[in-house]
Amino acid sequence: MHRREALKNVAFLLGGAISASTMGVLFESFTLPENEKNFVLYSLEDEKIFAEFADIIVPTTKSSAGAKAAGLGKFIPMMMKDCYPATMQASFAQGFKDLQAKSMKDFGKSYITLTPADRKKLMIDLRAIALAQKASKSEENKDLAYFFITARDLTLLGYYSSEIGCTKAREYVLIPGRYDGSAPLKPGQKSWAT
Amino acid sequence: MNLNTNLKAENTYDAIVIGSGISGGWAAKELTEKGLRVLMLERGMNIEHITGYETAMKNPWDFKHAGKLTEEQKRTHPVQKRDYPYQEANEKWWVNDLECPYTEDKRFDWYRGFHVGGKSLMWGRQSYRLSDHNFEDNARDGHGSDWPVRYAELSPWYDYAERFAGISGSKENWPTCPDGQFLPPMDLNIVEKSVKARIEEHYKRERIMMIGRVANLTVPHKGRGNCQYRNLCSRGCPFGAYFSTQSSTLPAAMATKLLTLRPYSIVNHIIYDKDTKKAKGVMVIDAETNKTMEFYAKIVFVNGSTLGSTFILLNSTSEAHPNGLGNGSGQLGHNLMDHHFRCGASGEAEGFDDKYTYGRRANGIYIPRYQNIGSDKRDYLRGFGYQGGASRANWQDDVAELSFGADLKQKMTTPGKWSMGLGGFGEMLPYYENKVYIDKTKKDKWGQPVLAIDCEYKENEKKMRVDMMNDAAEMLEKAGMKNIKTFDNGCYPGMAIHEMGTARMGNDPKTSVLNKWNQMHEVNNVFVTDGSCMPSIACQNPSLTFMALTARACDYAVKELKKKNI
Repeated sequence: MHRREALKNVAFLLGGAISASTMGVLFESFTLPENEKNFVLYSLEDEKIFAEFADIIVPTTKSSAGAKAAGLGKFIPMMMKDCYPATMQASFAQGFKDLQAKSMKDFGKSYITLTPADRKKLMIDLRAIALAQKASKSEENKDLAYFFITARDLTLLGYYSSEIGCTKAREYVLIPGRYDGSAPLKPGQKSWAT
Repeated sequence: MNLNTNLKAENTYDAIVIGSGISGGWAAKELTEKGLRVLMLERGMNIEHITGYETAMKNPWDFKHAGKLTEEQKRTHPVQKRDYPYQEANEKWWVNDLECPYTEDKRFDWYRGFHVGGKSLMWGRQSYRLSDHNFEDNARDGHGSDWPVRYAELSPWYDYAERFAGISGSKENWPTCPDGQFLPPMDLNIVEKSVKARIEEHYKRERIMMIGRVANLTVPHKGRGNCQYRNLCSRGCPFGAYFSTQSSTLPAAMATKLLTLRPYSIVNHIIYDKDTKKAKGVMVIDAETNKTMEFYAKIVFVNGSTLGSTFILLNSTSEAHPNGLGNGSGQLGHNLMDHHFRCGASGEAEGFDDKYTYGRRANGIYIPRYQNIGSDKRDYLRGFGYQGGASRANWQDDVAELSFGADLKQKMTTPGKWSMGLGGFGEMLPYYENKVYIDKTKKDKWGQPVLAIDCEYKENEKKMRVDMMNDAAEMLEKAGMKNIKTFDNGCYPGMAIHEMGTARMGNDPKTSVLNKWNQMHEVNNVFVTDGSCMPSIACQNPSLTFMALTARACDYAVKELKKKNI
């Protein structure tokens, strides 16, 4: 056993919050032949953009710091480079460019110089675009939608496996030492990190 | 002039054990404790107990890729990556498939770990006895050959294996899944207790649910620490709290000072002596240097995993044994089986919102087989058991919403719904045509030919899967679960990592490879006591049975050796 349990743990870790395509890459694990590899590299400037982007997905709240503090600026491009096939890397990279173009078009400013309020506005738009594109399956905004969905997935994955995510946002015990299957739920109790 | 003689003396032992996993470790322990000088050969690297478990104490954030595989790992592990067991936390313990390819006539997922301890380090640890119902099934319905062993004979060896390994569990007085020598059981959680009570009441205890019987210690046992409820077993346990070669059998064998353990030693074939009609030793390829060498012994125990052992036997050809060692019956390589699983049902439990869990229990529930027993009749043969459990998820929501921000964070850090899942583990019948054979058109990294696997589930298994889903849904409904969903995620042989058969035991040398003592009918100083010996597989997790059979075979082998019958 532990097959079942482990599968369930994976499902719980991701909570059904993660898209099917990310599940596909991370779990069903298809792989492209060696010669089709085409790693897209990201700069330090790009990492700052990812950090700000992720911080809108998981912001700092009363309980804990957000995605930026948890190091998501580096985590997202690293995961893209190490764990995703070339065609998906290419689509993600194009979507990342589209994000910056959209920022210029909508606000006349580069993404990194937007105010948090404008970044949130942009994210609301992106979410609507992604939902519409998923429904229509149209070519338009395909890369932007893929970027939004995947960057969001990786933000959730990275944040809830980071030290801040595990120990501040959730509660983590390295060595529980015992099992209680009928523990009272205390008011305001955080969920367990695993 | 005496160099060769000296070398031969140096390389001669009383017994050779091929493989260091669950059954090999047991063979080494039993044979050394009975006074034999034993050489245990392991094809892969050494892993030291505790210090070799590099990731055991790591936190989630200590892993670079949040537990996920890289493209490079997927490239070098095209088979291992097919299911969840190959993961960032213990990726070193799964084989590089490119180095040891095999031929899939039909899809077969072959999970392998080449290192001291073998799969005893990564196993699921569920430990159930077979019953007479299982030992008699082949004879009853005519599939496969009759088991040459019955429960009464094996029962004391189950006792013996459980007492040493440390199996926690509850006594249930359920004859088709017999009770054993258990350490105190782990606890069911509050939802599982409710489900158990309602199922047993509704079915009038013609179906039961229990906590899993598991090779995790609930109390300190023979110098090993008890389970710390981390649920990180597959990384190796620094507390020695679950049974593995490293935590249990290897220290016992080492304590005798009669064991020599040689890692990086690939056994290519068993050397047959046509004059004595016995095995005289093994030919080994050093996995690091590719040099070959020979080792000699009075008896050889073959414990290289089901398909690893059968490969060695098929590859051990001679004039007297042209189709593989001890293969006069033509059964060697045939009757390959694995459990089929990955289907069942799950549902949500309401009314427990004020309860949560503490600790991560490395165990679940078990519902032993009840189909085709007594008045329960199905339109297929044999049956299945369920594993599963209830837990309170961190958070569940639909991806379709694609939400973000503080509200999502609040949700994801708050305990979510309780749910309960049941997944069936079904018996597969032995079919002669499900087989392995040697494919000489390919070579592995060390120049050896490879195994070809031709195995599939058939109608009996397919019919059973429908019930595995529907019975689970029905029981969850009777237990008051809501929003019940059935699932069948599809299954290929090999995925359960319970591959068995291919060198079956039997009373008749014309139809079986091994006798009732796991001794080769045709070569009486060769014993095979891993999963390859199984004439049928029941639906229970099998490793405990390998332990009991191995201890029993060692006892017999040493007695025969002393009587000079071998």
